[in-house]
Amino acid sequence: MIELIGCTVRYGGITALDNVSIKIPDGKIVSIVGANGAGKTTTINVISGMVKLAKGSILMDGESLTLPPHRIVKKGIVQIPEGRKIFPTITVAENLILGAFIIKDRERIKANMERVFKLFPILKERMNQPGGTLSGGEQQMLAIARGLMSDPKILLLDEPSLGLAPNLVLEIFDMIKQLNREGLTILLVEQNAQKALNISDYAYVLETGRIVSHGEGSKIAGDPVVKKAYLGIKEV
Amino acid sequence: MHIIFQQLLNGLSLGGVYALEAVGFGLIFNVLKFSNFSHSAIVAISAYFGFFISRYLFPNFAVTLLMTAIFGGLIGVVIEKLIFRPIRLKNAPLTLFLVNSITAAMLVQQVFAATLGSDYYTYPEFMKETAWRLGAFTVSKTYVIMLTISALVLLFLSYIIRKTKIGIAIRAASSDIRTPSLMGVNVDFIVSVAFFLAGILGGITGYLLGMTYSVDPFIGSMILKGIIAAIIGGIGSLGGGVIAGLLLGATESLLISQIGASLTPIVVYSSIIILLLIRPEGISGKRFIVKA
Repeated sequence: MIELIGCTVRYGGITALDNVSIKIPDGKIVSIVGANGAGKTTTINVISGMVKLAKGSILMDGESLTLPPHRIVKKGIVQIPEGRKIFPTITVAENLILGAFIIKDRERIKANMERVFKLFPILKERMNQPGGTLSGGEQQMLAIARGLMSDPKILLLDEPSLGLAPNLVLEIFDMIKQLNREGLTILLVEQNAQKALNISDYAYVLETGRIVSHGEGSKIAGDPVVKKAYLGIKEV
Repeated sequence: MHIIFQQLLNGLSLGGVYALEAVGFGLIFNVLKFSNFSHSAIVAISAYFGFFISRYLFPNFAVTLLMTAIFGGLIGVVIEKLIFRPIRLKNAPLTLFLVNSITAAMLVQQVFAATLGSDYYTYPEFMKETAWRLGAFTVSKTYVIMLTISALVLLFLSYIIRKTKIGIAIRAASSDIRTPSLMGVNVDFIVSVAFFLAGILGGITGYLLGMTYSVDPFIGSMILKGIIAAIIGGIGSLGGGVIAGLLLGATESLLISQIGASLTPIVVYSSIIILLLIRPEGISGKRFIVKA
Protein backbone atom coordinates (compact mmCIF):
# COMPACT_ATOMS: atom_id res chain seq x y z
CA MET A 1 0.00 0.00 0.00
CA ILE A 2 1.07 3.51 -0.80
CA GLU A 3 0.15 6.28 1.55
CA LEU A 4 0.49 10.02 1.06
CA ILE A 5 0.28 11.82 4.39
CA GLY A 6 -0.24 15.57 4.51
CA CYS A 7 1.67 16.18 1.28
CA THR A 8 2.35 19.75 0.29
CA VAL A 9 4.16 20.83 -2.88
CA ARG A 10 5.13 24.35 -3.85
CA TYR A 11 6.39 25.59 -7.20
CA GLY A 12 8.04 28.87 -6.34
CA GLY A 13 5.33 30.76 -4.47
CA ILE A 14 2.45 28.67 -5.81
CA THR A 15 1.06 25.86 -3.70
CA ALA A 16 0.29 23.00 -6.08
CA LEU A 17 -0.65 20.46 -3.43
CA ASP A 18 -1.95 21.45 -0.05
CA ASN A 19 -1.94 18.89 2.75
CA VAL A 20 -3.07 15.99 0.57
CA SER A 21 -3.52 12.54 2.10
CA ILE A 22 -4.28 9.57 -0.14
CA LYS A 23 -4.25 5.81 0.32
CA ILE A 24 -3.66 3.36 -2.49
CA PRO A 25 -4.35 -0.14 -1.15
CA ASP A 26 -2.82 -3.15 -2.92
CA GLY A 27 -4.86 -4.62 -5.74
CA LYS A 28 -7.25 -1.68 -6.02
CA ILE A 29 -7.96 0.95 -8.61
CA VAL A 30 -7.83 4.39 -7.04
CA SER A 31 -8.56 7.44 -9.10
CA ILE A 32 -7.94 11.13 -8.68
CA VAL A 33 -10.27 13.37 -10.59
CA GLY A 34 -10.36 17.10 -10.91
CA ALA A 35 -9.94 19.99 -13.29
CA ASN A 36 -6.85 21.09 -15.12
CA GLY A 37 -4.37 22.49 -12.62
CA ALA A 38 -6.01 20.79 -9.64
CA GLY A 39 -2.76 19.03 -8.78
CA LYS A 40 -3.43 15.59 -10.26
CA THR A 41 -0.19 15.31 -12.19
CA THR A 42 1.73 16.79 -9.27
CA THR A 43 0.35 14.03 -7.04
CA ILE A 44 1.60 11.38 -9.44
CA ASN A 45 4.96 13.12 -9.82
CA VAL A 46 5.37 13.30 -6.07
CA ILE A 47 4.98 9.53 -5.82
CA SER A 48 7.38 9.05 -8.74
CA GLY A 49 9.99 11.24 -7.08
CA MET A 50 9.93 13.76 -9.94
CA VAL A 51 8.71 16.53 -7.64
CA LYS A 52 9.94 17.23 -4.12
CA LEU A 53 7.68 17.56 -1.12
CA ALA A 54 7.68 20.76 0.89
CA LYS A 55 5.84 19.00 3.71
CA GLY A 56 4.40 15.59 4.44
CA SER A 57 5.53 12.08 3.69
CA ILE A 58 4.96 9.16 1.36
CA LEU A 59 5.03 5.60 2.65
CA MET A 60 5.12 2.28 0.88
CA ASP A 61 4.06 -0.58 3.15
CA GLY A 62 4.91 1.65 6.09
CA GLU A 63 8.39 2.61 4.90
CA SER A 64 9.39 6.05 3.68
CA LEU A 65 9.41 6.41 -0.09
CA THR A 66 11.51 9.52 -0.60
CA LEU A 67 13.83 8.39 -3.39
CA PRO A 68 15.03 9.71 -6.75
CA PRO A 69 12.76 8.69 -9.67
CA HIS A 70 14.93 5.85 -10.99
CA ARG A 71 14.95 4.19 -7.56
CA ILE A 72 11.16 4.45 -7.28
CA VAL A 73 10.92 2.27 -10.41
CA LYS A 74 13.00 -0.39 -8.65
CA LYS A 75 10.37 -0.41 -5.90
CA GLY A 76 7.86 -1.59 -8.51
CA ILE A 77 6.12 1.75 -8.97
CA VAL A 78 5.91 2.90 -12.58
CA GLN A 79 4.42 6.08 -13.98
CA ILE A 80 2.82 6.17 -17.44
CA PRO A 81 3.23 9.90 -18.02
CA GLU A 82 0.74 12.34 -19.44
CA GLY A 83 1.22 12.87 -23.16
CA ARG A 84 2.74 9.34 -23.44
CA LYS A 85 6.32 10.68 -23.63
CA ILE A 86 7.28 8.09 -26.22
CA PHE A 87 10.89 8.49 -27.36
CA PRO A 88 10.29 9.47 -30.98
CA THR A 89 13.68 8.70 -32.54
CA ILE A 90 14.23 5.20 -31.18
CA THR A 91 12.20 2.20 -32.36
CA VAL A 92 9.14 0.74 -30.67
CA ALA A 93 11.22 -2.28 -29.60
CA GLU A 94 13.89 0.02 -28.16
CA ASN A 95 11.24 1.99 -26.26
CA LEU A 96 10.17 -1.32 -24.73
CA ILE A 97 13.73 -2.40 -23.93
CA LEU A 98 14.23 0.92 -22.17
CA GLY A 99 11.07 0.18 -20.18
CA ALA A 100 12.89 -2.91 -18.88
CA PHE A 101 16.03 -0.93 -18.06
CA ILE A 102 16.15 -2.20 -14.46
CA ILE A 103 15.96 -5.85 -15.56
CA LYS A 104 19.36 -7.42 -16.17
CA ASP A 105 18.19 -10.83 -17.38
CA ARG A 106 17.86 -10.76 -21.18
CA GLU A 107 15.55 -13.76 -21.30
CA ARG A 108 13.17 -12.04 -18.92
CA ILE A 109 13.19 -8.91 -21.07
CA LYS A 110 12.35 -11.05 -24.10
CA ALA A 111 9.55 -12.81 -22.23
CA ASN A 112 8.11 -9.49 -21.06
CA MET A 113 8.23 -8.17 -24.59
CA GLU A 114 6.30 -11.21 -25.87
CA ARG A 115 3.77 -10.63 -23.10
CA VAL A 116 3.13 -6.99 -24.01
CA PHE A 117 2.97 -7.94 -27.69
CA LYS A 118 0.12 -10.30 -26.76
CA LEU A 119 -1.67 -7.44 -25.01
CA PHE A 120 -1.00 -5.02 -27.88
CA PRO A 121 -0.42 -6.99 -31.11
CA ILE A 122 -0.13 -3.78 -33.15
CA LEU A 123 3.12 -3.00 -31.34
CA LYS A 124 4.67 -6.18 -32.67
CA GLU A 125 3.86 -5.11 -36.21
CA ARG A 126 5.39 -1.72 -35.53
CA MET A 127 8.38 -2.90 -33.50
CA ASN A 128 11.06 -1.66 -35.89
CA GLN A 129 9.43 1.72 -36.55
CA PRO A 130 10.55 4.85 -34.73
CA GLY A 131 8.20 5.61 -31.83
CA GLY A 132 7.41 9.01 -33.32
CA THR A 133 5.70 7.43 -36.35
CA LEU A 134 2.94 5.83 -34.26
CA SER A 135 -0.58 7.24 -34.04
CA GLY A 136 -1.81 8.73 -30.77
CA GLY A 137 -3.63 5.56 -29.78
CA GLU A 138 -0.68 3.36 -30.64
CA GLN A 139 1.59 5.67 -28.64
CA GLN A 140 -0.66 5.31 -25.61
CA MET A 141 -0.50 1.53 -25.98
CA LEU A 142 3.26 1.74 -26.27
CA ALA A 143 3.43 3.94 -23.17
CA ILE A 144 1.45 1.37 -21.17
CA ALA A 145 3.43 -1.53 -22.65
CA ARG A 146 6.70 0.23 -21.87
CA GLY A 147 5.53 0.72 -18.30
CA LEU A 148 4.70 -2.98 -17.97
CA MET A 149 8.15 -4.07 -19.17
CA SER A 150 9.70 -3.73 -15.71
CA ASP A 151 7.10 -6.01 -14.02
CA PRO A 152 5.65 -3.26 -11.82
CA LYS A 153 3.36 -3.81 -8.86
CA ILE A 154 1.81 -0.37 -9.01
CA LEU A 155 0.97 1.63 -12.13
CA LEU A 156 0.47 5.38 -11.97
CA LEU A 157 -1.51 6.37 -15.05
CA ASP A 158 -1.62 10.07 -15.90
CA GLU A 159 -4.48 10.95 -18.28
CA PRO A 160 -4.31 7.77 -20.35
CA SER A 161 -7.42 8.67 -22.35
CA LEU A 162 -6.37 12.22 -23.25
CA GLY A 163 -6.69 12.97 -26.94
CA LEU A 164 -7.92 9.51 -27.94
CA ALA A 165 -10.92 8.64 -30.11
CA PRO A 166 -13.94 7.39 -28.08
CA ASN A 167 -13.56 3.71 -29.09
CA LEU A 168 -9.91 3.81 -28.09
CA VAL A 169 -10.82 5.39 -24.76
CA LEU A 170 -13.05 2.39 -24.04
CA GLU A 171 -10.28 0.04 -25.07
CA ILE A 172 -7.77 1.72 -22.74
CA PHE A 173 -10.19 1.62 -19.79
CA ASP A 174 -10.87 -2.07 -20.46
CA MET A 175 -7.15 -2.67 -20.52
CA ILE A 176 -6.75 -0.90 -17.16
CA LYS A 177 -9.47 -3.11 -15.65
CA GLN A 178 -7.82 -6.20 -17.06
CA LEU A 179 -4.39 -5.25 -15.69
CA ASN A 180 -5.98 -4.69 -12.30
CA ARG A 181 -7.65 -8.11 -12.42
CA GLU A 182 -4.23 -9.59 -13.10
CA GLY A 183 -3.05 -8.13 -9.80
CA LEU A 184 -1.72 -4.66 -10.56
CA THR A 185 -2.51 -1.82 -8.20
CA ILE A 186 -3.56 1.25 -10.15
CA LEU A 187 -3.62 4.94 -9.49
CA LEU A 188 -5.54 6.63 -12.25
CA VAL A 189 -5.56 10.35 -12.85
CA GLU A 190 -8.22 11.51 -15.27
CA GLN A 191 -10.14 14.48 -16.53
CA ASN A 192 -12.55 11.96 -18.01
CA ALA A 193 -14.08 11.67 -14.54
CA GLN A 194 -17.18 9.60 -15.25
CA LYS A 195 -15.28 6.77 -16.92
CA ALA A 196 -12.52 6.80 -14.32
CA LEU A 197 -15.00 6.70 -11.42
CA ASN A 198 -16.89 3.81 -13.01
CA ILE A 199 -13.89 1.50 -12.83
CA SER A 200 -12.47 2.78 -9.52
CA ASP A 201 -12.71 1.15 -6.12
CA TYR A 202 -12.00 4.46 -4.47
CA ALA A 203 -11.67 8.03 -5.66
CA TYR A 204 -10.40 11.41 -4.56
CA VAL A 205 -11.57 14.74 -5.93
CA LEU A 206 -8.89 17.40 -6.12
CA GLU A 207 -9.57 21.09 -6.45
CA THR A 208 -6.74 23.63 -6.60
CA GLY A 209 -4.41 21.35 -4.68
CA ARG A 210 -6.82 20.18 -1.99
CA ILE A 211 -8.91 17.08 -1.59
CA VAL A 212 -12.50 18.27 -1.50
CA SER A 213 -14.17 14.86 -1.48
CA HIS A 214 -13.33 11.19 -1.39
CA GLY A 215 -15.13 7.90 -1.22
CA GLU A 216 -15.99 4.80 -3.19
CA GLY A 217 -15.89 5.35 -6.93
CA SER A 218 -19.61 4.82 -7.42
CA LYS A 219 -20.54 7.14 -4.52
CA ILE A 220 -18.34 9.95 -5.83
CA ALA A 221 -19.86 9.46 -9.28
CA GLY A 222 -23.31 10.01 -7.80
CA ASP A 223 -22.46 12.84 -5.39
CA PRO A 224 -24.42 15.96 -6.42
CA VAL A 225 -21.72 18.31 -5.07
CA VAL A 226 -19.10 16.58 -7.15
CA LYS A 227 -21.40 16.55 -10.15
CA LYS A 228 -21.87 20.26 -9.79
CA ALA A 229 -18.13 20.75 -9.57
CA TYR A 230 -17.82 18.74 -12.75
CA LEU A 231 -20.44 20.76 -14.54
CA GLY A 232 -18.35 23.76 -13.61
CA ILE A 233 -15.33 22.09 -15.11
CA LYS A 234 -17.09 21.29 -18.33
CA GLU A 235 -17.90 24.94 -18.84
CA VAL A 236 -14.15 25.72 -18.89
CA MET B 1 49.08 9.50 -59.73
CA HIS B 2 50.54 7.91 -56.64
CA ILE B 3 51.06 11.29 -55.09
CA ILE B 4 47.32 11.87 -55.26
CA PHE B 5 46.72 8.45 -53.77
CA GLN B 6 49.07 9.23 -50.91
CA GLN B 7 47.46 12.61 -50.36
CA LEU B 8 44.09 10.94 -50.29
CA LEU B 9 45.23 8.42 -47.71
CA ASN B 10 46.81 11.15 -45.58
CA GLY B 11 43.66 13.21 -45.91
CA LEU B 12 41.41 10.33 -44.97
CA SER B 13 43.45 9.49 -41.91
CA LEU B 14 43.35 13.12 -40.80
CA GLY B 15 39.65 12.99 -41.68
CA GLY B 16 39.34 10.00 -39.36
CA VAL B 17 40.57 12.21 -36.53
CA TYR B 18 38.09 14.92 -37.54
CA ALA B 19 35.43 12.22 -37.42
CA LEU B 20 36.47 11.30 -33.86
CA GLU B 21 36.24 14.97 -32.91
CA ALA B 22 32.88 15.39 -34.63
CA VAL B 23 31.38 12.41 -32.85
CA GLY B 24 32.84 13.40 -29.46
CA PHE B 25 31.35 16.85 -29.90
CA GLY B 26 28.07 15.58 -31.38
CA LEU B 27 27.46 13.05 -28.63
CA ILE B 28 27.33 15.73 -25.95
CA PHE B 29 25.35 18.05 -28.20
CA ASN B 30 22.76 15.31 -28.70
CA VAL B 31 22.28 14.68 -25.01
CA LEU B 32 22.62 18.13 -23.46
CA LYS B 33 21.94 20.38 -26.51
CA PHE B 34 24.91 22.68 -26.17
CA SER B 35 28.16 23.11 -28.09
CA ASN B 36 30.78 21.56 -25.86
CA PHE B 37 33.95 23.50 -26.55
CA SER B 38 35.50 21.97 -23.43
CA HIS B 39 36.07 18.93 -25.64
CA SER B 40 39.22 20.77 -26.74
CA ALA B 41 40.43 20.75 -23.13
CA ILE B 42 40.16 16.96 -23.04
CA VAL B 43 42.09 16.76 -26.31
CA ALA B 44 44.86 19.03 -24.99
CA ILE B 45 45.17 17.38 -21.58
CA SER B 46 45.24 13.95 -23.23
CA ALA B 47 47.84 15.01 -25.79
CA TYR B 48 50.20 16.01 -22.95
CA PHE B 49 49.28 12.93 -20.92
CA GLY B 50 50.00 10.65 -23.90
CA PHE B 51 53.31 12.39 -24.48
CA PHE B 52 54.50 12.05 -20.88
CA ILE B 53 53.53 8.42 -20.41
CA SER B 54 54.90 7.30 -23.77
CA ARG B 55 58.11 9.28 -23.33
CA TYR B 56 58.83 8.49 -19.70
CA LEU B 57 56.81 5.45 -18.62
CA PHE B 58 56.00 2.93 -21.34
CA PRO B 59 57.39 3.58 -24.81
CA ASN B 60 54.69 1.33 -26.24
CA PHE B 61 52.16 2.68 -28.69
CA ALA B 62 49.18 0.40 -27.97
CA VAL B 63 49.51 0.55 -24.18
CA THR B 64 49.85 4.32 -24.01
CA LEU B 65 47.06 4.89 -26.53
CA LEU B 66 44.71 2.75 -24.46
CA MET B 67 45.75 4.47 -21.23
CA THR B 68 45.24 7.89 -22.82
CA ALA B 69 41.82 6.87 -24.11
CA ILE B 70 40.66 5.86 -20.63
CA PHE B 71 42.32 8.92 -19.12
CA GLY B 72 40.44 11.14 -21.61
CA GLY B 73 37.20 9.44 -20.63
CA LEU B 74 37.84 10.10 -16.95
CA ILE B 75 38.70 13.76 -17.66
CA GLY B 76 35.38 14.00 -19.49
CA VAL B 77 33.53 12.64 -16.46
CA VAL B 78 35.39 15.04 -14.11
CA ILE B 79 34.68 18.08 -16.32
CA GLU B 80 30.99 17.19 -16.41
CA LYS B 81 30.83 16.76 -12.63
CA LEU B 82 32.72 20.00 -11.98
CA ILE B 83 31.22 22.48 -14.40
CA PHE B 84 28.11 21.06 -16.07
CA ARG B 85 26.30 18.94 -13.49
CA PRO B 86 25.86 21.73 -10.93
CA ILE B 87 24.22 24.03 -13.47
CA ARG B 88 22.18 21.18 -14.99
CA LEU B 89 20.69 20.34 -11.62
CA LYS B 90 19.70 24.00 -11.27
CA ASN B 91 18.08 23.95 -14.74
CA ALA B 92 20.37 26.74 -15.89
CA PRO B 93 19.86 28.07 -19.42
CA LEU B 94 21.90 26.47 -22.23
CA THR B 95 23.91 29.64 -22.72
CA LEU B 96 25.51 29.02 -19.37
CA PHE B 97 26.66 25.56 -20.48
CA LEU B 98 28.22 27.14 -23.55
CA VAL B 99 29.97 29.81 -21.51
CA ASN B 100 31.29 27.24 -19.04
CA SER B 101 32.54 25.02 -21.85
CA ILE B 102 34.42 27.88 -23.54
CA THR B 103 35.83 29.08 -20.23
CA ALA B 104 37.11 25.61 -19.37
CA ALA B 105 38.76 25.31 -22.79
CA MET B 106 40.47 28.69 -22.39
CA LEU B 107 41.51 27.92 -18.83
CA VAL B 108 43.20 24.66 -19.77
CA GLN B 109 44.89 26.28 -22.75
CA GLN B 110 46.24 29.11 -20.59
CA VAL B 111 47.42 26.77 -17.84
CA PHE B 112 49.41 24.80 -20.39
CA ALA B 113 50.72 28.00 -21.99
CA ALA B 114 51.91 29.25 -18.59
CA THR B 115 53.51 25.98 -17.49
CA LEU B 116 54.60 24.01 -20.55
CA GLY B 117 54.17 26.65 -23.23
CA SER B 118 57.81 27.40 -23.89
CA ASP B 119 58.51 23.97 -25.42
CA TYR B 120 57.24 21.67 -28.11
CA TYR B 121 56.83 18.09 -27.07
CA THR B 122 57.38 15.34 -29.59
CA TYR B 123 56.11 11.83 -29.09
CA PRO B 124 58.73 9.06 -29.28
CA GLU B 125 59.17 7.21 -32.56
CA PHE B 126 57.17 4.06 -32.03
CA MET B 127 58.18 2.43 -35.31
CA LYS B 128 61.58 1.91 -36.83
CA GLU B 129 60.21 1.96 -40.36
CA THR B 130 57.69 4.68 -41.00
CA ALA B 131 56.53 3.53 -44.42
CA TRP B 132 55.35 0.50 -46.28
CA ARG B 133 56.20 0.08 -49.94
CA LEU B 134 53.54 -1.47 -52.12
CA GLY B 135 54.96 -1.51 -55.64
CA ALA B 136 55.00 2.10 -56.81
CA PHE B 137 53.17 3.31 -53.71
CA THR B 138 54.69 4.37 -50.47
CA VAL B 139 52.22 4.28 -47.63
CA SER B 140 52.86 6.04 -44.35
CA LYS B 141 52.42 3.60 -41.48
CA THR B 142 51.35 6.34 -39.10
CA TYR B 143 48.52 7.38 -41.38
CA VAL B 144 47.32 3.81 -41.92
CA ILE B 145 47.38 3.16 -38.19
CA MET B 146 45.55 6.43 -37.48
CA LEU B 147 42.82 5.58 -39.94
CA THR B 148 42.48 2.04 -38.62
CA ILE B 149 42.26 3.20 -35.03
CA SER B 150 39.67 5.86 -35.83
CA ALA B 151 37.60 3.28 -37.67
CA LEU B 152 37.82 0.73 -34.84
CA VAL B 153 36.96 3.31 -32.19
CA LEU B 154 33.98 4.57 -34.16
CA LEU B 155 32.73 1.01 -34.73
CA PHE B 156 33.06 0.30 -31.03
CA LEU B 157 31.15 3.46 -30.17
CA SER B 158 28.50 2.70 -32.76
CA TYR B 159 28.01 -0.73 -31.21
CA ILE B 160 27.54 0.76 -27.75
CA ILE B 161 25.14 3.44 -28.94
CA ARG B 162 23.06 1.09 -31.11
CA LYS B 163 23.03 -2.19 -29.30
CA THR B 164 23.41 -1.75 -25.55
CA LYS B 165 20.77 -0.66 -23.07
CA ILE B 166 22.99 2.25 -22.02
CA GLY B 167 23.23 3.27 -25.69
CA ILE B 168 19.46 3.13 -26.08
CA ALA B 169 19.13 5.25 -22.94
CA ILE B 170 21.60 7.80 -24.37
CA ARG B 171 19.59 8.02 -27.58
CA ALA B 172 16.33 8.28 -25.65
CA ALA B 173 17.80 11.03 -23.47
CA SER B 174 18.75 12.99 -26.57
CA SER B 175 15.09 13.55 -27.36
CA ASP B 176 13.89 13.87 -23.76
CA ILE B 177 16.25 13.97 -20.82
CA ARG B 178 13.66 13.79 -18.03
CA THR B 179 11.47 10.86 -18.99
CA PRO B 180 14.07 8.03 -18.95
CA SER B 181 14.14 8.29 -15.15
CA LEU B 182 10.54 7.01 -15.18
CA MET B 183 11.94 3.82 -16.71
CA GLY B 184 14.44 3.42 -13.87
CA VAL B 185 17.29 5.11 -15.74
CA ASN B 186 19.62 7.18 -13.59
CA VAL B 187 19.94 10.19 -15.89
CA ASP B 188 22.99 11.56 -14.06
CA PHE B 189 24.73 8.27 -14.75
CA ILE B 190 23.74 8.33 -18.42
CA VAL B 191 25.15 11.85 -18.76
CA SER B 192 28.37 10.63 -17.11
CA VAL B 193 28.58 7.73 -19.56
CA ALA B 194 28.06 10.11 -22.49
CA PHE B 195 30.91 12.29 -21.21
CA PHE B 196 33.07 9.23 -20.63
CA LEU B 197 32.52 8.03 -24.21
CA ALA B 198 33.09 11.50 -25.65
CA GLY B 199 36.16 11.75 -23.41
CA ILE B 200 37.55 8.49 -24.79
CA LEU B 201 37.21 9.95 -28.29
CA GLY B 202 38.85 13.17 -27.07
CA GLY B 203 41.68 11.20 -25.49
CA ILE B 204 42.39 9.28 -28.68
CA THR B 205 42.10 12.49 -30.70
CA GLY B 206 44.67 14.16 -28.43
CA TYR B 207 47.02 11.22 -28.69
CA LEU B 208 46.79 10.92 -32.46
CA LEU B 209 47.19 14.66 -33.01
CA GLY B 210 50.09 14.79 -30.55
CA MET B 211 51.76 11.87 -32.26
CA THR B 212 51.30 13.29 -35.77
CA TYR B 213 52.29 16.85 -35.02
CA SER B 214 53.79 17.83 -31.71
CA VAL B 215 52.12 18.95 -28.53
CA ASP B 216 51.65 22.62 -27.77
CA PRO B 217 49.10 24.42 -25.56
CA PHE B 218 46.91 25.21 -28.55
CA ILE B 219 46.54 21.65 -29.79
CA GLY B 220 42.98 21.56 -28.46
CA SER B 221 41.90 24.24 -30.90
CA MET B 222 42.33 21.65 -33.66
CA ILE B 223 38.92 20.29 -32.73
CA LEU B 224 37.46 23.23 -34.64
CA LYS B 225 37.66 21.08 -37.79
CA GLY B 226 35.74 18.34 -36.02
CA ILE B 227 33.07 20.81 -34.91
CA ILE B 228 32.77 21.98 -38.51
CA ALA B 229 32.48 18.35 -39.61
CA ALA B 230 29.75 17.76 -37.01
CA ILE B 231 27.80 20.73 -38.37
CA ILE B 232 28.29 19.81 -42.04
CA GLY B 233 27.30 16.26 -41.19
CA GLY B 234 24.07 17.53 -39.74
CA ILE B 235 24.39 18.08 -36.04
CA GLY B 236 22.52 15.39 -34.21
CA SER B 237 23.59 12.78 -36.75
CA LEU B 238 26.76 11.04 -35.59
CA GLY B 239 27.04 9.09 -38.84
CA GLY B 240 26.82 12.33 -40.83
CA GLY B 241 29.66 13.74 -38.73
CA VAL B 242 31.86 10.77 -39.59
CA ILE B 243 31.25 11.12 -43.33
CA ALA B 244 31.77 14.88 -43.19
CA GLY B 245 34.99 14.42 -41.20
CA LEU B 246 36.42 12.03 -43.77
CA LEU B 247 35.33 14.25 -46.66
CA LEU B 248 36.79 17.34 -45.03
CA GLY B 249 40.12 15.63 -44.39
CA ALA B 250 40.36 14.21 -47.90
CA THR B 251 39.33 17.46 -49.57
CA GLU B 252 41.81 19.49 -47.58
CA SER B 253 44.63 17.14 -48.36
CA LEU B 254 43.91 16.98 -52.09
CA LEU B 255 43.53 20.76 -52.28
CA ILE B 256 46.83 21.29 -50.49
CA SER B 257 48.56 19.13 -53.09
CA GLN B 258 46.89 21.06 -55.93
CA ILE B 259 46.65 24.69 -54.85
CA GLY B 260 48.92 24.87 -51.82
CA ALA B 261 48.57 25.16 -48.09
CA SER B 262 47.80 28.86 -47.94
CA LEU B 263 44.89 28.90 -50.36
CA THR B 264 43.31 25.64 -49.19
CA PRO B 265 41.75 26.89 -45.93
CA ILE B 266 40.21 29.83 -47.78
CA VAL B 267 38.61 27.54 -50.35
CA VAL B 268 37.53 25.02 -47.70
CA TYR B 269 35.98 27.55 -45.34
CA SER B 270 34.14 29.44 -48.07
CA SER B 271 32.79 26.16 -49.47
CA ILE B 272 31.47 25.27 -46.03
CA ILE B 273 29.66 28.58 -45.74
CA ILE B 274 28.13 28.10 -49.19
CA LEU B 275 27.22 24.46 -48.44
CA LEU B 276 25.41 25.42 -45.26
CA LEU B 277 23.59 28.26 -47.03
CA ILE B 278 22.25 25.78 -49.56
CA ARG B 279 21.68 22.94 -47.10
CA PRO B 280 21.45 24.23 -43.54
CA GLU B 281 20.46 20.79 -42.21
CA GLY B 282 23.84 19.39 -43.26
CA ILE B 283 24.52 16.39 -45.47
CA SER B 284 22.65 13.86 -43.35
CA GLY B 285 19.49 15.74 -44.25
CA LYS B 286 17.92 15.52 -40.82
CA ARG B 287 16.48 18.80 -39.75
CA PHE B 288 17.46 19.29 -36.18
CA ILE B 289 15.31 21.37 -33.93
CA VAL B 290 17.25 23.09 -31.20
CA LYS B 291 14.94 23.42 -28.25
CA ALA B 292 16.55 26.43 -26.64
